[in-house]
Amino acid sequence: MIQLRNIQKSFGNQPVLKGIDLTVKKGEVVSILGPSGSGKTTLLRCINFLERPTEGEVMIDDITVSSQKGSKKEILTLRKKTAMVFQQYNLFRHKTVIENVMEGLIVVQKNSKETARKLAMEVLEKVGLTEKANAYPVQLSGGQQQRVGIARALALNPEVILLDEPTSALDPELVGEVLEVIKRIAEEGITMIIVTHEVSFAKDVSDYIVFMDQGEIVEEGTPTVIFNNPKEERTKRFFKRINREAGILESNLSSVI
Amino acid sequence: MQIDIPFIFMALIEIFKALPLTIIITLVPLIIGFLIGIGITIIRIRKVKGLYSLANFYVSFLRGTPALMHIMLIYLGFPLLIDKLAVTFRWTFQSTSIPILLFVLMALSLTAGAYMSEIIRAGILAVDQGQLEAAESIGMTNFQAMRRIVFPQAIAISLPNLCNIFIGFLHTSSIAFIVSQKELTGATNIVASNNLKFLEAYIAAALIYWGLTIISEKVTALLEKRVTVYNRGGVI
Ligand SMILES: Nc1ncnc2c1ncn2[C@@H]1O[C@H](COP(=O)(O)OP(=O)(O)OP(=O)(O)O)[C@@H](O)[C@H]1O
Ligand SMILES: [Mg+2]
Repeated sequence: MIQLRNIQKSFGNQPVLKGIDLTVKKGEVVSILGPSGSGKTTLLRCINFLERPTEGEVMIDDITVSSQKGSKKEILTLRKKTAMVFQQYNLFRHKTVIENVMEGLIVVQKNSKETARKLAMEVLEKVGLTEKANAYPVQLSGGQQQRVGIARALALNPEVILLDEPTSALDPELVGEVLEVIKRIAEEGITMIIVTHEVSFAKDVSDYIVFMDQGEIVEEGTPTVIFNNPKEERTKRFFKRINREAGILESNLSSVI
Repeated sequence: MQIDIPFIFMALIEIFKALPLTIIITLVPLIIGFLIGIGITIIRIRKVKGLYSLANFYVSFLRGTPALMHIMLIYLGFPLLIDKLAVTFRWTFQSTSIPILLFVLMALSLTAGAYMSEIIRAGILAVDQGQLEAAESIGMTNFQAMRRIVFPQAIAISLPNLCNIFIGFLHTSSIAFIVSQKELTGATNIVASNNLKFLEAYIAAALIYWGLTIISEKVTALLEKRVTVYNRGGVI
């Protein structure tokens, strides 16, 4: 179980997160939606302390790391229980696909090279990239690179995978293959927190939806409740805008076709 | 005046015997300078308190003055310091027993450190921060992430500059002859004055330096292809 308690974060004197509380149960998929600049990325980065929160604490399983007192060692333990998938993939460019996946298995989890290779191959199978095992990142499409990013996270068998807009750097025709992989691992019962702008995907894959605006959770609940019956004005407005944009996109597309 | 071409060949062979010392005066400072450069880079990137301004001063001063000055300052200044310390601590040790070569190597190592730190820093900054974060996000320590992910790429990116500095230092090593080191240039001077054929001797020396430089450039090109192989998808 993952629990965030009163997470606050300021950059300088600009408050970006204003006290976030969130509980994610084992095996749950939680999607975070919200307008640009609402603090979604910052929240995700506070969970693994890539950004140290100004206030609050992060609890995963038996360990609790607090914003101010969290030591290097505690943060390292926390990070070993989490993994992250980045918008820009952030693959290790000087390593092949399989080496990218093996890196954490060897350096962090101290597996032997052979064991790591075997585990990595199994995970590459899951994301459909066994054929690219010995390719370098520059040789892959964006969608393939992101699937490696997911494999790298998945291989470590973390308590939770944090995904920050995993498809928003991709060309539209490559989005599908990545979402499909994420959906498949969601069905395996891997706990995930996903920041995404793909509303219909979020509806489809999530057990729980969090809507954020201006550093706060405005509304949260099951997809059915949030999408069909949002209570807050800000949530309604956000979905209206998203729908309108999607509509414009569609009518543009149909006029092109 | 006639140029004595056969003498150039004789001089070439004679001067060439001094190559090992030139290699030592080139490579030792570069190796030590590389280590200094890494240290300075870490201090500057991490903004280590207390050492940060010292590191900046070091780089600024040594890059802002000719290598010849570093050799002279160390050669003249260091013995004074040693002798002062010897008196204070009642050592029997005397600065005159230190070989001059050691001063040269010290001075040029400091020079190299300043240049290396700039090159290494540029290389590290050229590796995108995202990869470091990715490494840390899977539980690698900052040190592991730097050593395994950032550093290899930084070196690959810096390689052309590192090879340039090698050639630069190959040429710079010639100033060691000022403090009577018998490296290529020192040897040239001896050959020249013993035979009173200065131009011929220096033509020979120039040819040797040129040849060494061309070889270095060729080796660089090969090395570069090898370490950046990941950018071309594994094709050497
Ligand atoms: N390192 C930083 N330094 C200063 N301000 C920052 C930093 N990172 C984020 N911010 C600010 O914090 C706010 C929230 O940013 P964040 O990236 O978390 O938003 P987001 O919800 O992920 O937006 P988007 O949907 O555009 O990705 C923004 O106003 C941003 O400018
Ligand atoms: Mg974001």
